[in-house]
This record gives sequence, C-alpha cells and structure tokens, in this order.
Amino acid sequence: MILKYIGNSFKRGCVQLVRRPMYFLLIVIMPLLCSWFLMDLIKGGSVQNVPVGIVDLDNSIMSRQVLRTLNGLQQVNISHRYSSFAEARDAVQRGEVMGFFLLPEYLEEEALGGRRPVVSYYVNYAFYAPASMQYKGFKTMSLLANGAIVQTALRTVGVPNEKIAATLQPYQTHIHMPGNPFINYDYYLNSTFVPCFLSLFILLVTAFSLGLELKSGLSRQWLRTSGNSMFLALVGKLVPQTVLFTIVGWFIQWMMYRCYDFPLNCNPWNMLLAMFLLVVANQSFAVLMFCFTPNFRFGTMLCTLLGMVSFSFTGFSLPQEAMYPWVEALGFTVPIKYYFLIMVDQALNGIDLYYSRVYYAALIGFTILPMLLSWRLKKECLNPVYVP
Amino acid sequence: MWFIQVLRVCGRELLLVFRDEGVVIFFLVLNAVYPVFYALIYNPEVVRDEAVVVVDDNRTAMSRDLIRRMDATQEVAIVGYAANMQEAQEAMHSKACYGILYVPRDFSQSVTRGDQGHVSLYCDMSVMMRYKAMFTALTNVTQAMGNERLTAIVEPVLNTSGSVIENHQVPVGNPAMGIASAVLLFILPLVLQQSMILGIAMLHGGSVERRRRNGGHDPMAIEASPGATIIGKMMCHQIVFVIPVIYVLHYVPLMFGFPQYGNFLHIICLAIPFVIAVSFMGQTLSAVVNERESVFLLFVFSSVIFVFLTGVSWPRYLMSRVWWLVGDCVPATWMSNGYVLMQSNGATLYQVQHQYWMLWLQLPVMFILAYVVERFINRRRYRSWIAASEDNPRILTRIDLAKNGVG
Repeated sequence: MILKYIGNSFKRGCVQLVRRPMYFLLIVIMPLLCSWFLMDLIKGGSVQNVPVGIVDLDNSIMSRQVLRTLNGLQQVNISHRYSSFAEARDAVQRGEVMGFFLLPEYLEEEALGGRRPVVSYYVNYAFYAPASMQYKGFKTMSLLANGAIVQTALRTVGVPNEKIAATLQPYQTHIHMPGNPFINYDYYLNSTFVPCFLSLFILLVTAFSLGLELKSGLSRQWLRTSGNSMFLALVGKLVPQTVLFTIVGWFIQWMMYRCYDFPLNCNPWNMLLAMFLLVVANQSFAVLMFCFTPNFRFGTMLCTLLGMVSFSFTGFSLPQEAMYPWVEALGFTVPIKYYFLIMVDQALNGIDLYYSRVYYAALIGFTILPMLLSWRLKKECLNPVYVP
Repeated sequence: MWFIQVLRVCGRELLLVFRDEGVVIFFLVLNAVYPVFYALIYNPEVVRDEAVVVVDDNRTAMSRDLIRRMDATQEVAIVGYAANMQEAQEAMHSKACYGILYVPRDFSQSVTRGDQGHVSLYCDMSVMMRYKAMFTALTNVTQAMGNERLTAIVEPVLNTSGSVIENHQVPVGNPAMGIASAVLLFILPLVLQQSMILGIAMLHGGSVERRRRNGGHDPMAIEASPGATIIGKMMCHQIVFVIPVIYVLHYVPLMFGFPQYGNFLHIICLAIPFVIAVSFMGQTLSAVVNERESVFLLFVFSSVIFVFLTGVSWPRYLMSRVWWLVGDCVPATWMSNGYVLMQSNGATLYQVQHQYWMLWLQLPVMFILAYVVERFINRRRYRSWIAASEDNPRILTRIDLAKNGVG
C-alpha cells in the first residue's frame, strides 16, 4: 500500500517537473550557466595591472628611474601621465585611472641633500580590490627607491655587500598561505559563491514548487495521491528535484576541482557528500520556511531574501568575527554556511574530518527540522488559501 | 488623443500597483529595508583584532617586542602562546585562531649579528580580509622595527636617518578603507533596478493570469496602442519611484556615514535616464513571466550576475570583452559606476558624462525592445488566446491544470 503511495507521489512529482520547461531551465541550465559565468569572469584570478597615473613634477634622472621600475611591477600599469596634481585628480574623478603616484618637485635634489622628500600615492579605495593591489605596488616602489639610495650610501661608507640586504631590511617576513599560495581570487571567491548560487536556485525552486500546489488549490489532491501523508507527499515531490540538483552540484564540483583546478586537499568523497547534504538541507530549509509561513508569497519571499543575503552574512567577504554578533549568529541559520565551513576545512585546508563533524551534523539536522513542523504545512494544504 | 491614452494607462497602472500588496512590497518595502539590512551586515567596515597564536622559540626581549607590537596593531590580537607548531595548528583547526606567528630560535641572534632575522606567519586563507589584515599588521610592524634598527646603524655614519625618501599613502574616495563604503555604493543603484524589474514583472504576471482566467481578456487593462501602453506604464513607475530613488541614493549613505561627496541634483540627473531605461527593460523582460510568483525564479538570481557585471568585486577592466559588453547593456552598470564616482570621489555630472550619455543611449534601445516585445510577442499571444477561447472556453484553464500535474 505504502509503496503504491510512494509511486504515485513520485510520479506526480516527475510529471510536474517535466511539464514546465521553467523547472529544467532553473534546475539545470541556469545553475550551470551562472557557475560558468562566475568562473569565466574571474578566470585569471589575480588583480593585476591596475590602470594608474603618474605625476612627475621633478623630471630628473632619479624620478624617471623610479617610474621605469614602477612600470615594471605587475601590480600596476601606468596608463596615463599628468602634468599636475589637479589634472590627475580630475582623471580619478572621471574614473580614467584608479589612483596616481606623485613625485614632488626637487625630489632628486632633496633626496641627495638629505632633506627627506615625500613621495605620495593617491589610491581610490572606492574600488576595493584594485586599491589593495595599487597600495602594494606603490608601497614596494617607494621602499625600493629609498633602498636604492641608502644602499649606495652604505656602500660608500664601507658596509660589505653581503651585509647590505640585512642592514636595509633586518627583519624578513615570510607569509605562508596554505591552500591558496598564489592568492588566487578565483579559488577564494568561486569556491564559495558558486555553491551559494546553487543553493539560491534550490531554495527558489523548492519554494516555488510547494507554493504552486497551494496557489492552484491542488494541494488536497497532492496529499491524497500520497495517502494523506505530508512526509510522503514531500518526498515524492522533492526527490526528483534532489536527484537533478545533486547531479548538477557534482558537475559543478567537477568543473571547479578538475577543470579550473581549485584546491582540493581532501578525499573528494568528503566534498561530494557535502554537496549532496547541501542540496537536501536547502530543500528542507525551504520546506521549513513554508511550515513557518504557509503562504506562497511570504514563504517564497523569505527563501529569496535569505538566499540572497546568504552571499553576505555567511562571511565570505567580511569574516564572521568582524561582524555584529547578531549578524554572525544569523549566518548560522542557513545551510550554505556549513557547506562553506566544510569547504574551508576539507578542500582548502585538508584537515581531519574530525574537525568538520559538527558541520556535517548541522547539514543533516536541517533535513530533520521540517519534519517536526510539517503538521502546519499539512493544515494549510488541506485548506489552501491563496493570497495574491 | 494619444496622450490621453498614456495618462489613462498610467492612472490604471498606479491603481494596480497600490492594490497589489506583492508589488508594493517590491517597489517600496524592499527599497526601504534591503539596503539598510545589507549595510548593517557590512557596517563594521574593517577587520579588527584578528586572533593569532604565537609560537615563540626565541624568547628574547626582541621577540617579545615584536609580539607586543603585533598585539598593539588594530588588525591583530595575540590570543595566546603555543608551545610548538603542533599545538598552534590544533588551535587553528579548532578555529581558536586564524593565524600563527612563528619566531624561530635564532631570530634575535641573527639580527644582532647583522644578518636577517626571519619571522613566519601562517594565515587562514578562507577569507581574503583575514589574510589582508594579518599581512598588513606584520608588514607594518617589521618595517617599523627595521627602520629603527637601520636608523641606529646609519645615523652616526651618514648623518641621516634610514629613510631618505619618505612615502605617504592618501586613501581617496573611501578614507576609512572600509568594505561597506566600497561595496554598498555599488549595490544601491542595483537594488533600485532589481526591485523595479521584479515589481513590473509581477504586475505583468498578474495581468497574464487574469487573461488566462478571462479567455484572453484582461478586464483591468486599458485599450491603448503598444507605444502608449509602454510609456504610460513607464510614467507610473517614475512616479512611484521618486521617493525610493531619493531615499536609497541620498538617505541611505547619510544614515550609515558612507562617502557622500556627490551633489544631490547631479545624482538625480544621473538617475532620471536610469530609472526610465530600467522601466523599459523591466517591461521587455517581463514577457517571459506567466505567473506572478515566477518572477522570484526568473529574476532574483540575475541580481548576483548584475552585481558582478558592475565590477564591484572583480574590476571591469580585467573582464573579457564578452562580459564587458554584456555589462554595458545593463543600466545599473553605468549608474553604479557613475554614482560611485560622484559619491566617493566627488565627481560632477560633467565628469561622469560618459556614463550619463550611455544611460541616455540605452533609453531608446530599451524602448524599442519593449515596443517590439509588447506589439509582436505579448499582443500576438493574447490574440491567439482569445481565438482559442472562442472555440473552447475552458482550454486555458485546462492547460494550467496540466502544467500542475493533473490529467
């Protein structure tokens, strides 16, 4: 008997899926297209050659040497030269360059005379990623210029060659970046953004397909096909979608880890499992939202809002410990947060599975939650009210 | 006569907007709430006191000085000492810290001997801002310490300090160098664009549903030529969006203290072609909507794509030609870039004329697209529905049921 109900419910879920081309578009085409978009957009992975301007008021041998070296750095690209500060500022305001390097008048004269001239660099922090790179380039350049002069001076007073580097820079720092040694922006951004994008699609599609039952008034019939069991009805409806989404998710992971060579320092099965759990957890999350607000519009809106805001409050760009505590806490209410933490532990850092046990458990927990509240959804399904 | 039609369409559209709770939520509530919520997420702006654990194998006055100075920076807080690297790693794996500072055994000895002293920092790379904070702190601290040492050696011989040429960074546009001030200004015009498209599409979805129920006719629609319909609706959207535009573009930055060097009038001038173009764009895109609620599915995710196309997280000059051109087609790309230059860098309308003219250029293009869609796709479809319903009055509802899995 129960097998018949499962079969009926499953059949109904599949038929709905097939009859609306929109589902195919939103489950298969769009997630793949969007993932490809993000990965293709940031293909290079490092912000380089930021277009900058220079203002050389000195025009001496020294200033020209500085500029030549500056142009050789990969961080910046001198695209424009300006004859005055005002002109350069205007260019920044027009968005022509993202910053400029200013060499003051009498630079060479004052430097050799020991009067400590100041070179300044104006960095437009309205454009965040290029600004950091510019800062690095400009800072390196200023230190190199200074170092070159001091080096000559040290040599003239008889400091041995092998000691010069140590005198100029007594403390050498080594920054180790496990998992992403080239500071590849692509690895960093897309290993979180792409799954987050997928979970947005999962939330939307699940919410939509549940809401449609309420809207069309067919929810009673939906329950009847599965013997008045909310659980079976949900299983029949959502499992076909789970299968499709999981395949798409695995394909995206294959793209990330095999085609685009994202860091994968763990057993691949750990990430595959995490993806499957992410799909199921997101579907359950959408069901849970519908249990809270059994209303097409509000349920969908809640899913949409949380799905969109997930990109921010889960701490992909501003780390969680820097956020307000209530925002940080809110981050832990969505499944993608746990996937993100698993990804960091497993794929990026490759540490023991033991440390990620809580996150896997949390994803499983999301799956169980709606079962406790499904009576609310059932009540609504028996008396569907559509509020436009 | 034509103008009367436009006004009637506009009036009816206004009525429909305010009668429909869902559309009001998109047009007004979303604009009121979303920017504020979003700004609150990013409002801390910078990373402070990132937790770092120290493994100090040197244990001298010099290493302690280094660690004290690290702890004193804004970016880093030393949360503890670990006996060895294993212990520190354990702390990092269990998220007690996000970085390890390792001072090797010969650190101070090397420096005093006249060689370089080495110090290592292991950063968690899951979030770039963490890495950046720790990296900046260590670089600044070692540079300051190095300069003191260099001065001590150089001054007696050269009669000058270690730095012959001083350098000085002037952060412009976003003096706090915070992430909220950088990101939010890009997002604000995008919120306007998306809320408008969602609302317009929902209105269209409602109209299509009415047509399906009434044999191809929409009892709420005004009979008007396609051009008049489009322009009338556009006028309605302008009227509704006056307050959201002013609130989002002017008051939200004011509330959160984001850079606001732009002249209010210049910003409004930039926003006018933007809002008109977005209205036409929304009317074009809404042709794919068949139900009110499918707007969630079809348009919400596009926000993420549009965000990336504006160049907020990945600069536009690094995009491939294709994505660059796709970005050019979106009104929000021009609006965001122009708006950011105005608000952050104090550009005038004259200085962002490129963006401004591009928005004006988009306007007729979007209008033509909307016209073509309205005249040759939407209306043709309605006519076929009317013809089909005359043969069989229940055909449209039957198709609806079939889509929901019945029959």
